[in-house]
Amino acid sequence: MRTKGWQKIFSFTLIQYIKTKSFIIGTIIMCVIVAAICTLSNLLPVWISGDDWETSTENPDANNPLAELTAVYLYDETGLLEDSDRELIPSVTATDKSLKDMVDTLKTAENKSVAIQATLQKDSDGKFTGYSVTSYYSEPCDTDAVDTLNNLAQEVLHRRVLLNAGVSPDKYADTQFPISVSRMQAGGESSNFIMSAMNYFVPVVISLLLFILIFSYGQVVAQSIATEKTSRVMELLLTSVRPLAVVIGKVLAMGVVSFAQFILIGIVGGASAAISAPFGMLGKAFEIANDPKIQEALQQATSNLGAQTTDMQIAEAMNMLSNTFSVWNILVIIVIFLLGFVFFSLIAALIGASISRMEDLQQAMQPYALLGVLGVYLAYFPVIFNADALANDEVSINPVQMFSYFFPISSPFSLPSAVLLGTLSPVQIIGAVAVLAAVVVLVAIVVSKVYEAIILHNGNRIKLGEIFKMAMRK
Amino acid sequence: MGLSVSNIVKNYGNYTAVDNLSFTLDEPGVFALLGTNGAGKTTSIRIILGMLACDKGEVLWDGKSFLAADKPIGYLAEERGLYPKYKVFDQLIYFCTLKGMRRVDAIKSLDYWFDRLGVNEHRLKRAEQLSKGNQQKIQLIAALAPNPELIILDEPLSGLDPVNAELFKTVIREEIKKRKYIIMSSHQMSTIEEFCQGIVILNKGKTVLQGDLNEIKKGYGRVKLTVKAEGDIREMAQQCELVVTEDTPNGTSFNVQSEQQAHKLLKMIIESGIPLIKYELREPTLNEIFIEKVGGQDEN
Repeated sequence: MRTKGWQKIFSFTLIQYIKTKSFIIGTIIMCVIVAAICTLSNLLPVWISGDDWETSTENPDANNPLAELTAVYLYDETGLLEDSDRELIPSVTATDKSLKDMVDTLKTAENKSVAIQATLQKDSDGKFTGYSVTSYYSEPCDTDAVDTLNNLAQEVLHRRVLLNAGVSPDKYADTQFPISVSRMQAGGESSNFIMSAMNYFVPVVISLLLFILIFSYGQVVAQSIATEKTSRVMELLLTSVRPLAVVIGKVLAMGVVSFAQFILIGIVGGASAAISAPFGMLGKAFEIANDPKIQEALQQATSNLGAQTTDMQIAEAMNMLSNTFSVWNILVIIVIFLLGFVFFSLIAALIGASISRMEDLQQAMQPYALLGVLGVYLAYFPVIFNADALANDEVSINPVQMFSYFFPISSPFSLPSAVLLGTLSPVQIIGAVAVLAAVVVLVAIVVSKVYEAIILHNGNRIKLGEIFKMAMRK
Repeated sequence: MGLSVSNIVKNYGNYTAVDNLSFTLDEPGVFALLGTNGAGKTTSIRIILGMLACDKGEVLWDGKSFLAADKPIGYLAEERGLYPKYKVFDQLIYFCTLKGMRRVDAIKSLDYWFDRLGVNEHRLKRAEQLSKGNQQKIQLIAALAPNPELIILDEPLSGLDPVNAELFKTVIREEIKKRKYIIMSSHQMSTIEEFCQGIVILNKGKTVLQGDLNEIKKGYGRVKLTVKAEGDIREMAQQCELVVTEDTPNGTSFNVQSEQQAHKLLKMIIESGIPLIKYELREPTLNEIFIEKVGGQDEN
């Protein structure tokens, strides 16, 4: 049996590797970084928006930017507005100052004050064309608050025009409801900025994480085999086991280490997000997703081809995420991860076995590095260049992205996020995994054919062409 | 019984590294595989160990096809190899269990060998923390701890100080007493002479001399004469048609055609009254045979 004894190689490699300081320190650092990213990405939006976010659920003014204004001065040059209209604008304050003097005062004011000027607009013949609203604000003012104030003044003016035209205040109140607008391509997915953003960022983050885990541990396999070969430990091992058993034991041990680290990072990231959730935007998102009213509205919007509010978009994205964490999807992701790991590690093992001096390893690993970089670029560059989809709130994939799912060099990095986000149909996923599995089997056959011949070769580094020639021999 | 190597051939492209090598180890003891650098010793050893496949021939153990992975063989490689960063004890347990030993047996055996070679205090150190000599002891433990029937020692004494070299020799003697089959490769001919019965000398892959060392020496006869006297004996040697091969403070050496030639010289020295300090008529040493067989062909 050419693989007899691989279990002992596997357990020794695994135990010795996880005992190394570099692994322990590296894992701790990686977990700390992931925990920090998960926690901060949840908490930062809340911290940046300050006290407003924290009080948003308790204080209705928290989301009202006008609440922060100290004083609002209304200069009505239209002659339309009445005292009751002025009362509709918060913090409106009477003043004797002219607009010019007020603007001069606002230049140096340290509080948040705004002067609103409502005027008539006329053309060159003096004919009335409409109204205009201009706001002059002090430096400490938030421009969002000023824009909101402008919109409010516009609304108050419009209301007064309608009331003067004979519309009763009750009728006017009855007609005031929000009308949201959206654009949908016939037959396309519904427009959802949150999901579009997830489709943009999740593949990038996941492909980079997988690249680190798959690619870097492949390098560890190469280094480990090269060390054993150049330190002559390999000769001692080969008195007990065949070379293929060494490769299998090492690749699987590193695969388990890498996978365990992947899971650990996932658990740390998930735990950090869960712990910080009540204090950050995730908690809000869960709250929205669990709100039966929003879910009902979402269902209605979906069944009636209706548009979605932001809350409905969040709820839909959360629904989609909870659906993707199915046993089937997790199993598929594990299979892809392991296949990708075996694919890259076998190539790395072959390269590690082809050198006779450790100094040659870096140079010998260049083709491997190129493969890895090509794979990860193919996995996330098409996503980055698909910015149109993000801008248009769409969930779409381009042909290069589709190619990356089926190309075995990139699919280990791109497929998991496609499975997680539901980008591909089950048939497409099975097809892509089958292509990857077939290539892994092919690489394993080549490696098993040439590995035994090159592992005991000492002297000049065996070139890639010579390895291919060996593989082609019967 | 024992090891049988029959007509093994190994080619690397157009280069034949081992050409039709055959030998047998019917009885326990030490067999020497000798040759200059690049003669094919390491390739032969790797074929015996099952690391390399040969193009022709076969290696049998007790008449059955022999695979290293199926039979525990102790191997002390010429170029020593240990994991520099791992603890000595951990890696020795690993090597023993790879040979099929149970962990508990491996620990028992290692305890014995750590004591025997005096490296008990180093068992929990990393290999890189040990001196070269102690690393060599650890390597020897890796070879012997699984209690293999066949042991291959490639340059076992190189780099050792006289005290440790003597310790290694004692251990080898003990293994011989335990009726182990040992193949030894060394450039220290005195060591080979001390231990070995059968030898094979390889040159450029070909076997140039093979057989029982004592028989080989007997075959040469007593053809080496060394004489040390307190006067000039060169004229007498010329009269006896003896050619000087070496002239050192320990005496003058000659190659003799027959023992009568040597006796004639002895008689002449005694009759001349020159005080004789040393007169030695002996068989050639292995070193002299090796140089004759390999050195001469190398010059060609």
